[in-house]
Amino acid sequence: MMKPLLLRARGERNSRSLTTYLRFGGYGAVKKALIMDARDVIKEIKASGLRGRSGAGVPTGLKWGCVPKASGKPKYLICNADESEPGTFKDREIIRVDPHLLLEGMIIAAYAIDAHKAYIYIRGEFFHEAQMLEHAIGEAYRKKYLGKNILRTGFDLDIYVHRGAGAQICSEETALIESIEGRRGQPRLKPPFPAMAGLFGCPTIVNNVETLACLPHILENGADWFASIGTQESTGTKLFSVSGHVESPGVYEVPLGTTFREIIEDHCGGIPNGRELKAFIPGGSSAPVLTAAEIDTPACFDAVAKAGSTLGSGGLIVMDETVDMVWVLENLLEFYAHESCGQCTPCREGSAWALNILRRIRCNQGCPEDLETLCRIADFACRGMTICPLGDAFCEPIRSFLDRFGGEFRAAVTSGNPPRVVKAPILPTRRDQSMFAKPGTESC
Amino acid sequence: MSQDQTPPLTVASHDEVKEIHFDGEMEDRIKNILGRYSETQAALLPVLWACQERWGWISAGIMEAIAERLALSPAFVESVVTFYTMFRSRPPGRFHLQVCTTLSCRLCGAGPVIDELKRTLGIDFGETTPDGRFTLSDVKCLGVCGEGPVIQINDDYYTRLNTEELGRLLDEFK
Amino acid sequence: MLRLTIDGVEVQVAEGTNLVEASKKAGIEIPTTCYHPGLRVVGQCRICFVEVESMPHLVTACSTPAQNGMIVMTKSPRVRNARAAVLEFLLANHPLDCPVCDQAGECSLQDFSMEIGLDESRMIDEKRTFPGFESRQIGPAVVQNQNRCIRCSRCIRFTQEIFETHDLIMKGRGARAYIDTFDGRPFDNPWSACVADVCPVGALTVKDFRFRARVWHLMETPSICPGCSVGCNIDVGHLDGVVHRFKPRTNPEINGWWMCDHGRSLASDLNNRDLDRPAVRSGSTFSTLTWNEALVILAETIVTKKPRIVASANLSNEALFLIRRLFVEHLDLEVVVPTDSGAQRWIKNERGTRIESIEVQPNGTGARLIGLSMVDEKGLRDFVSQSSVILLDNRAHAWLAGPDAAAELRGRLAAVFGRRHTELSRTADLIFPTASWFETEGSFTSSTGRVQLARPGWSPVRLGRPAWRTLTDLAVRLDLPLENCISPRRVFEEIVQEIPAFAGMTYRRLSSEPGIPILKDIPHVG
Repeated sequence: MMKPLLLRARGERNSRSLTTYLRFGGYGAVKKALIMDARDVIKEIKASGLRGRSGAGVPTGLKWGCVPKASGKPKYLICNADESEPGTFKDREIIRVDPHLLLEGMIIAAYAIDAHKAYIYIRGEFFHEAQMLEHAIGEAYRKKYLGKNILRTGFDLDIYVHRGAGAQICSEETALIESIEGRRGQPRLKPPFPAMAGLFGCPTIVNNVETLACLPHILENGADWFASIGTQESTGTKLFSVSGHVESPGVYEVPLGTTFREIIEDHCGGIPNGRELKAFIPGGSSAPVLTAAEIDTPACFDAVAKAGSTLGSGGLIVMDETVDMVWVLENLLEFYAHESCGQCTPCREGSAWALNILRRIRCNQGCPEDLETLCRIADFACRGMTICPLGDAFCEPIRSFLDRFGGEFRAAVTSGNPPRVVKAPILPTRRDQSMFAKPGTESC
Repeated sequence: MSQDQTPPLTVASHDEVKEIHFDGEMEDRIKNILGRYSETQAALLPVLWACQERWGWISAGIMEAIAERLALSPAFVESVVTFYTMFRSRPPGRFHLQVCTTLSCRLCGAGPVIDELKRTLGIDFGETTPDGRFTLSDVKCLGVCGEGPVIQINDDYYTRLNTEELGRLLDEFK
Repeated sequence: MLRLTIDGVEVQVAEGTNLVEASKKAGIEIPTTCYHPGLRVVGQCRICFVEVESMPHLVTACSTPAQNGMIVMTKSPRVRNARAAVLEFLLANHPLDCPVCDQAGECSLQDFSMEIGLDESRMIDEKRTFPGFESRQIGPAVVQNQNRCIRCSRCIRFTQEIFETHDLIMKGRGARAYIDTFDGRPFDNPWSACVADVCPVGALTVKDFRFRARVWHLMETPSICPGCSVGCNIDVGHLDGVVHRFKPRTNPEINGWWMCDHGRSLASDLNNRDLDRPAVRSGSTFSTLTWNEALVILAETIVTKKPRIVASANLSNEALFLIRRLFVEHLDLEVVVPTDSGAQRWIKNERGTRIESIEVQPNGTGARLIGLSMVDEKGLRDFVSQSSVILLDNRAHAWLAGPDAAAELRGRLAAVFGRRHTELSRTADLIFPTASWFETEGSFTSSTGRVQLARPGWSPVRLGRPAWRTLTDLAVRLDLPLENCISPRRVFEEIVQEIPAFAGMTYRRLSSEPGIPILKDIPHVG
């Protein structure tokens, strides 16, 4: 088992304090980075192969490269700590264990994209974590790691903590930006992408906590060293938040490419009560579910994609043989119906509709047509049908659950006693075109 | 999670927050918040937090005061308040119990804990006990799935609960 | 200019045009519900999907700008499937109450259902409802039915972006979100009913029009709002001789897509008339006359008494021009046009420019250009304080409708014209029924100097006659025939000849253009 990087201070006394951090050689990477050319920092990160840890897996260096050099506008860095996808709790762990690691990563990222103001958007529920960050920021200011003329290099950076207030959608980067700007957290139309026009209309980079926390290590030890960890396409270590039916749930740091079997059995102590594994969700609740047969899949971006799921945020939810998959899907849809911002029709209506169907099936009132309807909803509320990926987030589970555990669903609907189905015509059946206004002559 | 006893919320009555004028202390906080952003509107969420901390909930009067201070329309402020589930637009009990009902917590036995909670308090989700002590809410994923079942009481998390533990916990707050 | 191909049709559009507008140019109508040309693009209803060659996903036409060489398909099977699915989502919780919904006939959802051919719903669960919000009077002019709302947010954007009143908001989020005002307070701004116009479904409807008529029965006549001098373009909806509503008609230069609630409220006024034939006073009662008899008496009065004439800025350019020719030029009588500035009204045009009223009467600018002398209330009172008076419109000025005027003018009012009795008209010696502005053709000049044509919805009812006709008939009785003035069109041609500000205008252009601007650099006559 390799030594942890991001969680290296876990278990230390006063792990959050600046003193401890400095003992681990903290802020050494910043010293290195701030005398480099910003372009070289980006090059180094590109060479490390670091990919975003929030779900989409976008190469971080590539993202930074999109920031226009001379727009004349200020640039912003935002740290996305709005970790709210069920099954994901790794960012909280980093903040609780080693907030300075995050701050150091942010200084490096801000320097690379030439930002002088940075925000940490942290979910509202993390009240204490927000305070820990505020405390760490205070320490950093006092020791001149933040503020004007950092370490006498002439680089200025202010970091502010901005608390969310209970909306999972704000972990989507444009919704997050809207939220900082003081609006309802509704995702924006793209393009323009935040790198071009984000916060206050200025170029903005939004990076996940874990992504930023990797930066000091890369700068410290070199891109090649980082790239040597993990697999060819998925470099570095990854935090996996393991929850559900395992002996010891929690956050585990392993190199990308470690198999799920190792994570579940070796790190987490396997399934409790001598039960068998039934299924696991590899990357947070929006990732398609995998079955016990797929436990030997390596946990890296490409292998998981090949298995038909995504690594997402690394939120591993483990379910044993006793779990009713219809119930699981209902529970997940409850979450997504609750969190849909309501902007786009397919997501707003689709998530609520799918939840209704699942609830009915669970009340023993399902009918075989329901499964078709679920498939149809899943087909038409994702892949570009909605502004943001929340559409995909509830469609992928539906599709994968029906795909991999279709038998349970079919059993649930055939034993059901559906309500009398009245197929009501949507319109008065009179097909007299003159009765209606010509198409397009809408009121305006 | 072992921690000091969670302090109760300050909850203003309807009359107290009918009409609000920010005092010097609040005004200082707002000025401080405004200094962090290049646009006034961006201060909305932090100011709402400051008000909720002060009065326990966000009344129409508070929204109007914030709107005036930040040069927004009261309607806009309300649309933002209602979007985010953590802003309370009704006065809560002094202890706001928020129970996670999402998958991982459920897998770890949140169901019996919730039932026990409802039974002991005699209220359902979204309700407040008649003595104004507890408000019970269901929330979606509190982000500590590895330590479920979890309840958030005011600002504090209470994790790895089971029915016995819950009983002890509630006794502390009685 | 950009060139692109839409469904095989090549079109040229300006830079920045979106695919909805570009398709319109190609003669292709793309279904939209959240998109409105006057409002910010949000791209959230997702029904306007089109397929663009070389793009992996379908794109929403409203939020995609046209690009050179783009190849767009709006009717491919992929597009049809996606639209059908979105429509199904929109209808999943939408009540199937078209037979009792006031929007039926001008409802986007209904139109798209017909077009896309969605007859059945897979939705068998109970629909989402908002108890208490089914027919809630959200403000004095608007009724809300939240169950029908498809959350396109047009109404919200309207109150935010156009008149910046910020009344309406979305409360809550997701499927349970609903439209409301701050703290549930009444939704009353001067343009509130426009939200019903922009509402693509029957969620917001105009209170005064509810259950008055089915829109597919309504006749719509393009006209000009008489409510003030802004001159908003309207469609007058009427059925069997009854006017039911005014609706804004797009005019990019004046009112954009909007009109104010005051203007709308004037629709019912057109249905009120109690003067229906000429009458002459004998003692304290009136006896009816034929128009011929009445005009003979009027001509005699004019010749013998040389009365002063009070004209009206409610009249069209044509009527005012004939007044000038007959009374001022031929008869050398004193004529004034009273106006009052009244409450300031304003509207925004397509570019967002504020267009303001200068007076409550619609055609003060026209009267000034034609060279009639204008008076305010004081001037009017001075003017009528002696000699005999003929009043060409008993509602020319608010003062004339009050009790003071009736007392002041008692015994000196030789003749009055109007559609309805006022206190004043009962003191007149002769009463003439006039046609309403909606019963006659005529052009009006707006406060910003645009000459616009109002078309008649029907011929005058009963014996009411339009002013231009009365004036030409009177001229014949007086042996002063007005050459060439046999129709509003001919009178307009005379105006164009004679009034410099109108030079170069044609009637044909009036009927096809959104108002013709007057020539401003020419000094006003008179």
